[in-house]
Amino acid sequence: MQDAPDIAAMPAAARTIDTTGTLCPYPIVETARAIRALATGEVLCVVATDPGVRTDMPMWCKATRNEHLGTFRDGASFRSWVRKRR
Amino acid sequence: MPGKAIAMISGGLDSTLAVALVRRQGIEVKAVNFYTGLCITETQRRKGGRPDGTIPENEALRAAAQLEVDVEYVDISGSGYFDMLVQPRWGYGANANPCVDCRVFMMRKAREIMLAEGADFVFTGEVLGQRPKSQRRDTLRIIERESGLDGRLLRPLSAKLLEPTLPEREGIVDRERLLDISGRSRKRQMELARELGIAGWPQPAGGCCYLTDESFAEKFFDLLDSREAAGAARRIDRDDVVLLSTGRHFRLSPRALLVVGRTEVENVLLERYVGGRARVEARGVLGPVALVEGVPTWEERVLACRIVARYGKGKDQPSVTVEWREGDQVEEHLVEPERDEARIEGLRVG
Repeated sequence: MQDAPDIAAMPAAARTIDTTGTLCPYPIVETARAIRALATGEVLCVVATDPGVRTDMPMWCKATRNEHLGTFRDGASFRSWVRKRR
Repeated sequence: MPGKAIAMISGGLDSTLAVALVRRQGIEVKAVNFYTGLCITETQRRKGGRPDGTIPENEALRAAAQLEVDVEYVDISGSGYFDMLVQPRWGYGANANPCVDCRVFMMRKAREIMLAEGADFVFTGEVLGQRPKSQRRDTLRIIERESGLDGRLLRPLSAKLLEPTLPEREGIVDRERLLDISGRSRKRQMELARELGIAGWPQPAGGCCYLTDESFAEKFFDLLDSREAAGAARRIDRDDVVLLSTGRHFRLSPRALLVVGRTEVENVLLERYVGGRARVEARGVLGPVALVEGVPTWEERVLACRIVARYGKGKDQPSVTVEWREGDQVEEHLVEPERDEARIEGLRVG
């Protein structure tokens, strides 16, 4: 996981989904559902409170050949940025 | 002849190897992982991780990432799955594990995904003779037949010991490049993992399902039996599954169950399930959050309060005030913490 200041470097998201309160695997299930609706190259921002998202999101992106731009702690939450690659 | 296949992946060594074996034949693989709510590792993650503070990885995701295989989660933790757990056609294993029925249920879902994806077959990491109930030759055949996947269910690790499947006969899969592993030893799998450059599989293997856990099974059957004895339906739901894997359980009577949180994380978790249950907690001293399900008598209420007081910091005090809250109704009970350990143990389930 990268340091908090890098949040500022994240691109504007075409869509943001809030999975607050849900636990694994739902943040990933919702991410998969949301990314299907995006065009290639667009960015999705995922808000989560499940700490497992820190390891799950990079692995899911690698498996599905999407680009994991970063996952950051944001107060009590985490924010992940994912670029759709295919 | 390239084809497409649906892999059932748990992230364990066998399913990871099965994916690697099929992929190296040039076959496109989509992996699916079924979420049941009964995975011990998942529950550990939900409760904040291991005792040392680390959070276990999601093994299915880890394996899919390692092999760069598209992976999809499929949530089957609904009423159909839970009804199957309660009324398994092929019965239970040593505990509350209806492994054959569970596999049939999952394979039926996998078949639906196979058809929707236009895939040619489904495959798993099952190994002939590795597990006493679900991986015998006869039960592997039952699972294939009952799931509707007749001829389209491949077990790459044991394929040469089984009848050729349709994708093998059709030339989509080269049978000669599949394996003939059987039994409980994992020596050949570990050799193959080294050969294929696969590392980091979970140790020890298997045993990730709560249904195979003796303590969980005791609570599972206690809940079903008590509901039946109290005239209710013999059923469970998602909330039950969470509560069965949380806290100390005390059966006060067929009509009343007390669940006492064991850790701060469990206390927080129990707070989410207060709806429809009584919330019990000591006042003025630190102690666990507890829930009471059902319709206890007055004596059972007092007993629940005494047990809750016994697990708090006031256990050595002559008396403790315990709050009993049901919706907006709040009562206070001044009770002596229960000191009869044999009585407590007698009520304990699991």
